[in-house]
Amino acid sequence: MLPLSLLKSAQGHPMLVELKNGETYNGHLVNCDTWMNIHLREVICTSKDGDRFWRMPECYIRGNTIKYLRVPDEVIDKVQEETKSRSDRKPPGVGRGRGRGREDGPGGRQPKGIGRGLDDGGAKGMGGGRGRGGSGGKAGGSRGAGRGRG
Amino acid sequence: MSGGPGLESLVDQTISVITNDGRNIVGVLKGFDQATNIILDESHERVYSTKEGVQQLVLGLYIIRGDNISVVGELDEDLDAHLDLSKLRAHPLKPVIH
Amino acid sequence: MLFFSYFKDLVGREVTVELKNDLAIRGTLHSVDQYLNIKLENTRVVDQDKYPHMLSVRNCFIRGSVVRYVQLPPEGVDIELLHDATRREARGG
Repeated sequence: MLPLSLLKSAQGHPMLVELKNGETYNGHLVNCDTWMNIHLREVICTSKDGDRFWRMPECYIRGNTIKYLRVPDEVIDKVQEETKSRSDRKPPGVGRGRGRGREDGPGGRQPKGIGRGLDDGGAKGMGGGRGRGGSGGKAGGSRGAGRGRG
Repeated sequence: MSGGPGLESLVDQTISVITNDGRNIVGVLKGFDQATNIILDESHERVYSTKEGVQQLVLGLYIIRGDNISVVGELDEDLDAHLDLSKLRAHPLKPVIH
Repeated sequence: MLFFSYFKDLVGREVTVELKNDLAIRGTLHSVDQYLNIKLENTRVVDQDKYPHMLSVRNCFIRGSVVRYVQLPPEGVDIELLHDATRREARGG
């Protein structure tokens, strides 16, 4: 499963985003793109020390400023449904393939599966065979990501 | 098969991630991509300190951005079961300085 | 490309990888990729008393971007070969 697919599936759900500068943003995901840029609604921004708060109707966060995202537990089950329903589609972004390749040099060995290895891995990941005991197993996700540290 | 150091061999396993800001997050690897962005399920943070044993904070489902990741370790469940986290004392890891 | 190839030739050797957070991890080089991400097996942290954070980790993936140094076995360094490869690389070959 690709991180960006999970993020896409989290559309409409509440989430917490921590930026590299330590600020956190709590809000509902409106949309995201392949750079992890995200658009949130109904946002509460918390300063690095957790002592100041700002409420804003919406905000847009550039992907490369993000440290991590916390999404509600049940979103992972949603992705599985979506990937099952279109499992013929190749995962985007993987499979860089091609390239020049080198003729010789100190490491003249065949690249052991580098280059195509990920392609297989991605396909395998999409397939399934995941073991999370029972879909109703986890509760309490609906109140979403509202934690904050300390 | 798994030639490059991809993370596919670790999918659905418990891993221990060290992030660039020095945190240690343990969870089940559910997915990753070329940029080392990862999905961690049922994750918790292990907070190290010199004053008390390791504290565990429940985090849940996380997407960690690749450029914030230093190390992804395969957690050996046996070794981990024999660790007494309440007795471990250590400074938190330093953040990565590029 | 040179370092990628070079590290590929070191697969199976013992190396110590020092990270930009001062953590040093020793282990057997399992694989490398184009980003110089590194996979080590049979790892141990060099100063385990100071850094017990990876006590239950035996295999790990290290992101290339956080590597400060890789300490190599002396016998893994063939100066002649490196000279040649460097010249070739400089010529754009």
